[in-house]
Amino acid sequence: MSKWSTLLSRSFLESNARERALGLVDDGTFTELVGPFDRRTSPHLETLGEAVEFDDGIVTGIGKIGKTPVFVISQEGRFIGGAVGEVGGAKMVGTIKAAIDFADRIAKDYPNATDEEKPIVAISFETGGVRLHEANAGLLAHAEVMDQLQKARHKVPVIALIGSKVGCFGGMGFVAAATDVIVMSEFGRLGLTGPEVIEQEMGKDEFDSADRALVYRTTGGRHKYVMGDCNFLVEDTIAAFRAQLAELAKLPREKFEELRRIGSEVLVAKQLKGVALAAEMQPKDSRDVWVHAGNPDPVSLALAPVADFRAQAKRLAL
Amino acid sequence: MALNTLEFECKSTAATVAVAKPVHFGVVGSGDLEILMSPAKNDGAVKVKVVTPVTGFDDLWRRVVGAFVENAKLGNVSIEINDNNATPAVVTLRLRQTLAEAAA
Amino acid sequence: MDTLIGQGRTAIGLICDPDSFVENTVGAKSFDDPSFGPGAVVGTAKLDGKTVTVIANDADAFNEKFPVVYAGIIGMEEGYKMAQAVYASIEADKAESKANKRALVLVVDTPGNGPGKVEEIFGMNKATGAYQLALAEARLAGHPIVAMVIGRAISGAFLCHGLQADHILSLDSKFGTMIHVMPLTSISRIVKKDIEILEKLAEGNPVFAAGPRFFSKLGGVEEIVTEIDGMRDAVIRHVAAVRAAKVAGTDGETTGPWGRGALGAERAGRAVRPEVIALLQSELAQVASRYLPGAN
Repeated sequence: MSKWSTLLSRSFLESNARERALGLVDDGTFTELVGPFDRRTSPHLETLGEAVEFDDGIVTGIGKIGKTPVFVISQEGRFIGGAVGEVGGAKMVGTIKAAIDFADRIAKDYPNATDEEKPIVAISFETGGVRLHEANAGLLAHAEVMDQLQKARHKVPVIALIGSKVGCFGGMGFVAAATDVIVMSEFGRLGLTGPEVIEQEMGKDEFDSADRALVYRTTGGRHKYVMGDCNFLVEDTIAAFRAQLAELAKLPREKFEELRRIGSEVLVAKQLKGVALAAEMQPKDSRDVWVHAGNPDPVSLALAPVADFRAQAKRLAL
Repeated sequence: MALNTLEFECKSTAATVAVAKPVHFGVVGSGDLEILMSPAKNDGAVKVKVVTPVTGFDDLWRRVVGAFVENAKLGNVSIEINDNNATPAVVTLRLRQTLAEAAA
Repeated sequence: MDTLIGQGRTAIGLICDPDSFVENTVGAKSFDDPSFGPGAVVGTAKLDGKTVTVIANDADAFNEKFPVVYAGIIGMEEGYKMAQAVYASIEADKAESKANKRALVLVVDTPGNGPGKVEEIFGMNKATGAYQLALAEARLAGHPIVAMVIGRAISGAFLCHGLQADHILSLDSKFGTMIHVMPLTSISRIVKKDIEILEKLAEGNPVFAAGPRFFSKLGGVEEIVTEIDGMRDAVIRHVAAVRAAKVAGTDGETTGPWGRGALGAERAGRAVRPEVIALLQSELAQVASRYLPGAN
């Protein structure tokens, strides 16, 4: 068995950023851009005497799934929690921009190209947002990523993959929300304010960050699936994320707008129905919303195997 | 406060093993490290560069990497390490894994 | 006046033409429910005789439905309300040329996005994301967007309300303006470095220290406005400059988050960013043919 095929059966959660990147695209097609051999470590961490990494905690590159060029961005949670600094931020911004430029080039030089031959961007998020050691540069990079996401609209689908240990929080929580499609595993977590910060700001009564079950109930993949905040819930293997990505790669490009949760006046109006529901319900727990969505036994549902969960779960209709 | 950079050379008494192309392995997690191993014409010796926030273990680094190079019979290689407080056991393990990756 | 913190409406009055601000109406959209997103102030005013959309924070408002919203915090309703004001501006001027699309003036004084369990259950990240996407869409459609930081521009709330603008201005820190992810004292605790050492390092490297001056060096703030009564002229001047760039088609490279990247390099605060992006592009160019249609 090749190294690549052994990767596929691996847990997405347990894998590192490079393994995820390699496994998401076809065997042998991945070219890493500004990879470890370029040795672009963070000068700011060095100044502070902090450990550095040759790729600054993010793997960026291009590969293929079938005929589709896939620009891959994969954050590494084990390096400073996947936090975004100047170098890593520039790699992320640069990759999305490169994908847009690549799409423009294909549109110009290959007018008969099929949708399948046009690029997509896949971002595996594993981050709490800004890297505090270089906080200002990290913050400005977030704004640049958001700008690129809007520029990519109607041109290059951007797909968020969330199934890593750290989850996706802070500024990257709204970057992920602004992508076209979100794919999660049940171990993926997506939000804005991380559990520790809510507890710190609002007290343990509002949120006990040590309660792992509560954390997953509030921001985990299953909950986000019921809320419609993630489009697809997949098993925790690289192969499952890859399969979902491959399916999306074949989708006609105009269909991606239909998968968005935000990004237009109509979608804002729809989300506001959810906000009105939140105000009316004042849920003490996410399971209250599951029941409201039509799942009378949320406890069993939450424990069901992922495939059964997908088959049975009623998603919140807004 | 800047990072501690340590550079040294070690030589295996029976250097017969080299790497064909540059290879990267590992993640700089807490208590972990990453390694770049690349071919380097160096009269049979191994060039080592370690970047670490930890100071005061220069001799230990020489011993640990030196023992690995000797056992692996490694020569004409450059080893670059970014470390974040890895123990000698982890360093040795990662060096072996990197070499295995290079042979794959 | 030594500070404008908590005085978003006062600042609107100082920036816009006298008594021109009409709250809760933008184009065809009106915001009739006073209990909806009270932490966000949206409306239409005149700036130098021209119609502008104004979006600000209300530090005195308390959102009864979502009690995490007070002191200028942007909650779920606030984020979506701000987004609606932007979409209403785009809609109102969709037939206008770039020379005539209304400007958006963001008056920034916000300490954060709503933190809370209900917010996480329903997805606060979508509300703040929705507003940013709307601003980026308006900016790319040709509306000049100028942000004026009059008080607090903190972390994710600044990303939400400010950092998608074409140009960002900030009152000088002598007026108490704060731009940061975290104050240096907190950063010191979390990264485990003495505050004295960090302060010393900040003199040579602006990437982690708090304050408009450091953001300016990084290209994150176009101009620091040194007097409160200078805000109006500065905003008018920047709206005109941004509009000129849009009409000329040079805004893509010179304004907005991407333009501020170039400014960061020019001011030597973010020197690595352009190198990394250029390296990525050159490495891609070498292999691009393998990924083009028809390649194997």
